[in-house]
Amino acid sequence: MPSYELAMVLRQMSRPEIVSVLKRTAGTLLDRGCVIRKLENLGTRALPHKISEHGIVHREGTYFNISFDAAPTKISDFMEEFGRDIDIVRRRIFKIEEPEEFQCTLHEEMLPPAYRKDVQEMIDIAKRKQKRKFKYNSGLDYYPFQK
Amino acid sequence: MLQFARVAARSVATSHRAVVTPLLNSAITRRDFSAPVENKDQPIDIPNPFEKERRVCILCKHNIVPDYKNVKLLSQFQSPYTGRIYGRHITGLCKQKQEQVEKAIIRAQNCAMMPTYHKEMDFMQDPRLFDPEKPIRPHKY
Ligand SMILES: [Zn+2]
Repeated sequence: MPSYELAMVLRQMSRPEIVSVLKRTAGTLLDRGCVIRKLENLGTRALPHKISEHGIVHREGTYFNISFDAAPTKISDFMEEFGRDIDIVRRRIFKIEEPEEFQCTLHEEMLPPAYRKDVQEMIDIAKRKQKRKFKYNSGLDYYPFQK
Repeated sequence: MLQFARVAARSVATSHRAVVTPLLNSAITRRDFSAPVENKDQPIDIPNPFEKERRVCILCKHNIVPDYKNVKLLSQFQSPYTGRIYGRHITGLCKQKQEQVEKAIIRAQNCAMMPTYHKEMDFMQDPRLFDPEKPIRPHKY
């Protein structure tokens, strides 16, 4: 089962209400055979902009993050289920992926254009696209007859 | 006057020869004794001394992987006036890191963690990582 991360914003509520919402969301996750790895509270604060959801305009919210392992086919069900919950203002599910190892290429990018690999490739493509000119093979660099 | 100049020229020529001949002799004797020594004036194989130090972008240097929950870091790559993400020619990041930063910022904005039309007021006084007025690469705007 791949790992996922549920980022959600709950509407402004009292503490026991938040607990009940969290229990509800965790319950739906567990009912579908998920494994909850982590539950994070990112705090209550004013939203960056007002959000209209379920017919109410929200200006403040509590941020929560739940990491869980689930079957990929279940993700759309979760999105649908949490979308119907009127206490959840916004919900997003992301796959947790290991960052790829790579070398910093800033040095190569800062080289003059003629030395950059992508520019060289572009020049090659332009050369390939040029129309071929017929060669007479007369050993002369001009056409000896009248045209 | 002219004669004097000629004499001077001859003296210079003779002195020059006097200097040159012993050097040649020593070179020959040295060659006789040991293995052939190459001419000192020939170019030698050394790494380019004028090569510039390898540049590394600020996120690669500190080995930071941008995350959408780290809003304070991400907002440093956002314009305080329009909320738009600064381009690679301004931020001075490498291609991959710039892509990661852009992806993380869009994610954070999607999760309503970050504003889209301005920079968070709490982060306005943060130190600047770059100067948008002086891009590292020229651009047409
Ligand atoms: Zn880099």
